[in-house]
Amino acid sequence: MIEVKNIVKKFNSAKEKVIALDHINLIVKKSEFVLIKGESGSGKSTLLFIMGGMLNPTSGKMIVNNKDLFSLSEVERSKYRANEIGFVFQSYHLLPYLNVLENIMLPNQLPEIHIQKEDVYKIADELGIADRLYHKPSQLSAGEKQRVALARALITKPSIILADEPTGNLDEKNTIEVLNYLRSFQKNGGTVVMVTHGNLADTYATRTIQLDKGKLQKS
Amino acid sequence: MIIIVAFVVAFYTITQATKNETRLLTRNMGFNVRIIPGETDMNQFWMGGYSNLTMSQDIVDKLIDERSINYAHLTATLHKRIVWKDKEVILTGISKEEKEPSGKTKSKMIFAIPKDKVYLGYELANIFGIKEGDKVEFFDKVFEVEKTLSETGSEDDIRVYFDLETLQIMVQMEGRVNEVMALNCMCSTEGGDPLGELRAELNRIVPDAKVIMNATIANAREDQRKMTDKYFAFLFPIILIICAIWLASVAMTNVKERTHEIGIMKALGFTSWKISKLFFLRAFVIGLLGAILGFILGSFLSYYLGPKIFNLTVVSVKPLYHLLYWAIFIGPLFAAITSLIPVLWAVNQDSAQLLKEQ
Repeated sequence: MIEVKNIVKKFNSAKEKVIALDHINLIVKKSEFVLIKGESGSGKSTLLFIMGGMLNPTSGKMIVNNKDLFSLSEVERSKYRANEIGFVFQSYHLLPYLNVLENIMLPNQLPEIHIQKEDVYKIADELGIADRLYHKPSQLSAGEKQRVALARALITKPSIILADEPTGNLDEKNTIEVLNYLRSFQKNGGTVVMVTHGNLADTYATRTIQLDKGKLQKS
Repeated sequence: MIIIVAFVVAFYTITQATKNETRLLTRNMGFNVRIIPGETDMNQFWMGGYSNLTMSQDIVDKLIDERSINYAHLTATLHKRIVWKDKEVILTGISKEEKEPSGKTKSKMIFAIPKDKVYLGYELANIFGIKEGDKVEFFDKVFEVEKTLSETGSEDDIRVYFDLETLQIMVQMEGRVNEVMALNCMCSTEGGDPLGELRAELNRIVPDAKVIMNATIANAREDQRKMTDKYFAFLFPIILIICAIWLASVAMTNVKERTHEIGIMKALGFTSWKISKLFFLRAFVIGLLGAILGFILGSFLSYYLGPKIFNLTVVSVKPLYHLLYWAIFIGPLFAAITSLIPVLWAVNQDSAQLLKEQ
């Protein structure tokens, strides 16, 4: 379970102080598929990054499995990300000089992660990228890149997938495929929190929350 | 990294080759120190071209034993003026080897003559129509003319060169020499009087000899060498500093460009320490490979460009292997150090921030 407790995030720029998140309270239960929607600049991605321990909040707490994420040491928080979280981003964030197989196996360099090649072949087969394992990201289509990013997120068997507009660069067909994979993950007991603009994901989600100017409108 | 190391290696190699070339060129200006018997009448010496007195050949060994003296190419010679075929000629015996005070045999500044052969001055060969391979007779002994020398415009044109020992036996002066020729750089000394100091030193070692120095040649040597040294002493640190700044900025830009990668790694659960280690290791390996490849490229460039651009002779340009050891030591270290600040900066940022910066 993820519990967002009174989270505030302020960004200080030279010109002004921006309140990206304004006292957000939210609970995401295990095996939920939660959509976070809102206008650009409403704080959706900021909330997602804070949930993943990738961005420090200005105040408030993030409780994950009864642990306050931001009271953990850097090493413990890294372990949390490695073991519990799978990130999927709109721009895929694949390493361009590694091939697909190496990108998927990148977390294997962490001591707590042990990825077997057979698992990679299996997941690549499920995601329809088995014939692309030795290709560089530049040789892939947008949909294939996102499926590689999904494979990299799923290979560590996380309990939570945090997806930041994962379908933002995809056509409808690929969007539906990605959403199907995420739903399949959720149906198998995983938790999905997904930031999105579009409406295609609405029917996949168990719940949708709306953010407006850093404030939670609907939960 | 490769280009920077190659540039430094090429510059340094060409610098050393230029210095070497300068040294050879000035060396070829001839011997500038003449050590002659102490009792020599200098009037006679200058009129005759050599001392009519002799001294023991052991003087060379004595000078060699005194390792502190800055001579090179110690060459024992014996001269004798005779009339040959109604012409006055100078017979000159030259020792087989040229030595330096360490006792090491130096490469010859002048020729070594085989025992039964002679080298004939230009004028003599010209007057008598003697060609290489012809036979000539001195003191009832027949010699083959190994070489007829080209015109020098000096008394050397009426000289016949022999192996020293051969001439000593012929003129019954075994173990005796008129002169020891040497090369000395006349380098500036603390006292500011290099010739005076040289004479004092020589007087202590071989009191029965005196030294004459051709100041024109010696000064030219010193001036040329100093000029070359100053030129490169000025340029080399500038080149090094420019390359260091260049390398640092390349390393910093490289890490800055890879903040995105650092962001991904942090998102995947890599700790700051793990990321730093990976980046330092990578910088180290890149530095090492760059150093080795840069050394090869730099040496090749200096070998290829040195003779073409700087008019150096190919033999002067040699790979300086100590530069490879330096490059292997400094390259990886410097690459790792220059990536230190940007890596530490990046790993201490929120990964969300790093990913947004893409």
